Amino acid sequence: MSKTFHLEIIASDRVFFEGETEHLVITAIDGLIGIMAGHEPLVTALPTGELKYMVNGKWQYAAISEGFIEVMPDHAIILADTCELPEEIDVKRAEEARARAEERLRQKQSIKEYYQTQAALNRAMNRLKLSQKHFK
Amino acid sequence: MANIREIRERVASIQQILKITNAMYLMSSSKLKKARKSLEATEPYFYKLQSTIESVLEHTPHTRQLYFDRRDNIPEDKRKRGYIVITADKGLCGSYNHNILKYTEQELKKAPDIDNCYLFIMGQVGRMHFQNRKREAKKAYVDSEFLYTTQNPTLYRAREIAELVLEKFENHELDEVHLIYTDMVNSSQSEPRTVRLLPFERKHFGKAVDGTMKKLPKASFEPNPEEVMSYLIPNYAKGIIYGAMVEAFCSEQHARMTAMDAATTSAKDMIRELSLLYNRARQAAITQEITEVCSGASSVEK
Repeated sequence: MSKTFHLEIIASDRVFFEGETEHLVITAIDGLIGIMAGHEPLVTALPTGELKYMVNGKWQYAAISEGFIEVMPDHAIILADTCELPEEIDVKRAEEARARAEERLRQKQSIKEYYQTQAALNRAMNRLKLSQKHFK
Repeated sequence: MANIREIRERVASIQQILKITNAMYLMSSSKLKKARKSLEATEPYFYKLQSTIESVLEHTPHTRQLYFDRRDNIPEDKRKRGYIVITADKGLCGSYNHNILKYTEQELKKAPDIDNCYLFIMGQVGRMHFQNRKREAKKAYVDSEFLYTTQNPTLYRAREIAELVLEKFENHELDEVHLIYTDMVNSSQSEPRTVRLLPFERKHFGKAVDGTMKKLPKASFEPNPEEVMSYLIPNYAKGIIYGAMVEAFCSEQHARMTAMDAATTSAKDMIRELSLLYNRARQAAITQEITEVCSGASSVEK
């Protein structure tokens, strides 16, 4: 087994994951970043996206919405608004949210509202994508 | 000795109130259970967020980021201070509202010029308290369009509030933003607290005991510190506001539960005392009647 580091994924409504991890892949603002034990100190923001981490040689996937990560050589902390396993995602709710956001995008909105709707749409699409990809 | 009918009416009215306070007690205790559950779920995030940001800042190189701008060129009495205050929507929760409002007043007094204070109040009670002071010459401005409830805090509401204050800060409508809320110190105690949200504070850390600068390893930022900070700080603000909302809601329910519990017990005590008085009065009336009948009968016999 390869060297591990301590990973904490904390969502605003629960502690999502805490334990030893061999490998972590995150979607940062400008692309995917892979993190293994002994990584240099790094701080970056995480937009809505996908996340995977390896525990005992098995990849775990999760849908994450807006947060940030702090990486130190021996540990990493992810703080996010929400974080869900593919099987936890409420597909129906996400679909409704997508429909709602798409509907709103068709209306005339202020720039601020437009960004908010787009962010909502992003979250819904991300959930749907992950649930389709990893959980059927 | 009090009138029998009076006492009976009083007991009846106390019983009515007892029913109400008891129902409120039951409701708030079930709400408290829910609030405490969400508080427990959010607390790790809330504390971790604060400690992580602190450690992130230790590794941050100096940036000219907008949210760090202290605006030192603005004199103290010209600074526009914004306060987000979390109060309850309703009264009948003991000293909860009173404490937070008194605390806020004290905070406002600290500001050099109260005319430059802007209040963003969540909760009906606090809004009423600060809006109804037309007589005073100097008063803090209350944003009347800031209408948010404190019931069942959601991340969505926190996000909206964070966006609002960040936008005001960016447009120089505010130079400082503070957050005042009631913190659950432990499961039975709570007290008001202030957190400064903006501008972002870089504490004077990095100094070792002997006064020399500690060399902290600088973390790398992807793609660059400014970019990361412009994502991270709104996120942090939102997280802190959400956490504060959850804490405040939990304290409110707790305060209401204790207040209603106390009201119910004292109502019960009052009923006990009054029923004693009532029985005594009734007994006295009966005794008097008997004496009257007896004396009437004896006068007839003569």
